[in-house]
Amino acid sequence: MKMQNLRKKFAKVALDLAKKDPRVVIIVADISHGVFAEFRKKFPNRYFNIGICEPAIVSMAAGLSKVGFIPFVHTIAPFLIERSYEQIKLDFAYQKLNVNLVSTGSSFDYSQLGCSHHCYSDVSLIKKFRGSQIFLPSSELELEGFIKRNYSKKKINYFRLTDNPHGIKLGKKQLSESCMSLSKGDKITVVAVANSLKNIMEVKDLIKNKNTLDIFYINSNKNIDFNKINKSVRKTKKLLVVEELFYKGGIYEDILMNLELKNVQKSEHIAIKDFVHGYGSYEEMKKKSNLNTDSILKKIKKILK
Amino acid sequence: MINSDLRLKIVHLITNAKEGHIPSSFSVVDIINFVFEKQLNINKRNINSSKRDYFILSKGHSAAALYVVLNKFKILKDKHLLGYGKSKGILGGHPETTKTPGVEASTGSLGHGFPYAVGIALGLKLSKKKNKVITLIGDGECHEGTIWEAANIAVNQNLNNLTVIVDRNESAIQLMKIENLEKKWKAFGWDVIVADGHSKKSLVKAFKKIKFSLKPKIIIADTVKGKGVSFLEGHGAWHHKIPNKEELKLIEKELGKSNL
Repeated sequence: MKMQNLRKKFAKVALDLAKKDPRVVIIVADISHGVFAEFRKKFPNRYFNIGICEPAIVSMAAGLSKVGFIPFVHTIAPFLIERSYEQIKLDFAYQKLNVNLVSTGSSFDYSQLGCSHHCYSDVSLIKKFRGSQIFLPSSELELEGFIKRNYSKKKINYFRLTDNPHGIKLGKKQLSESCMSLSKGDKITVVAVANSLKNIMEVKDLIKNKNTLDIFYINSNKNIDFNKINKSVRKTKKLLVVEELFYKGGIYEDILMNLELKNVQKSEHIAIKDFVHGYGSYEEMKKKSNLNTDSILKKIKKILK
Repeated sequence: MINSDLRLKIVHLITNAKEGHIPSSFSVVDIINFVFEKQLNINKRNINSSKRDYFILSKGHSAAALYVVLNKFKILKDKHLLGYGKSKGILGGHPETTKTPGVEASTGSLGHGFPYAVGIALGLKLSKKKNKVITLIGDGECHEGTIWEAANIAVNQNLNNLTVIVDRNESAIQLMKIENLEKKWKAFGWDVIVADGHSKKSLVKAFKKIKFSLKPKIIIADTVKGKGVSFLEGHGAWHHKIPNKEELKLIEKELGKSNL
């Protein structure tokens, strides 16, 4: 499978949309200049590299939305979501305006740059706005589908781009589902959120009994089919959710709120609990947060004991 | 004294509801009335039309001043004013665009309306539309970082369809002094004019001067917080205070109560 580059794909999808839809404008805060070179060339009046002033950029995007444009605001996740949170809350959510927020640098993608460039809480923050839509694409195909189907809906759309896609090939039918079944098993229900799927599939390969894991993949908070998870948990009685997000306010919380608890013997969760201090590779950051393949395998073995 | 009728309405709105900011509304009411009367193409017929001009009250706590002007121009009805602060009403201490005709922005947290107005002005330019955009900010609001972020953006995007009015009622001075406000805005690349925010003549002159400017424009309007009633003027307890019966009578007397 070819190396997936979600930022490049975003720029390409945005260009496709801009050709058909004159309302599309791109606003970036000093990032992704290279991938947007063609967009800038074709639509110089609809591409704005404003500068390093994220809160004002978000408010400005609300003004553009007010007069009929469809803004895509794009920069590094902590600055787009956490720094500009009041602007998103008041200028978009409170005023009921449409925006597409597209972040890069999810969780600890910028592993060597330190915690200032990490972002774990973005999903929980945006989820607080009723009707907002969170998209966690982990392949180019997922990204393209999410953006094209949702960019013009009058909502706060948050597209969280990862630099570490799962690398799993998903079929078209699977991509049309909100809770994809990727492997059948009967010992434990495992929900992989976004790029955690890579590690879950690795865990699957490491377990001798191939019918152990009942694996589901979720990449959005939109219309999750909780029936599938409940049906699986009725069978397995055990649930593990793995998400490279802050441990409160993520997809696990959504699942818990919809889980038939009477069927559950054990429900566990692996997520990010605190600042992941220090530096190193992305894989090392995952290890520190117990999100790596070995830690997930250990956790599953413990649950199954 | 101009617009004592509007000031009385502001006092009655806020006193009846026991919520609101009278002195802050008094410092801007003459300016808002002036721009609706003389500068902006906003009326009850075009209020939802893409042809209207835009007025964004960035200092949202002066909402009562905006409401009484919208009422004067028949965009809000008397019954709307009577519902101020009530659960079935559409008006409150800070303006809400999803509820209120003529309110373009839900403001209240300072530093939001101006960058939002920058986006509106940018969008109108992109669409090659001639609509004007005026936003009113406070001098205290100039403490906010987003004001200066937006000031830079407007100049960089050459938004000559945007006019900012600063209500310089000297709120900033008592907190964190901002010296040489004119020079600061000039240094950011704006065309700057200073005017008397309570004088129609002075405001006419200021708008005439900036009419053909090719830059974003700012009118620094010197005002008096609480203007029009002696004991409300200045800074202090009255910022968010509600008058009692005796105080209301004194206010009405100073404003020369008529049949309102």
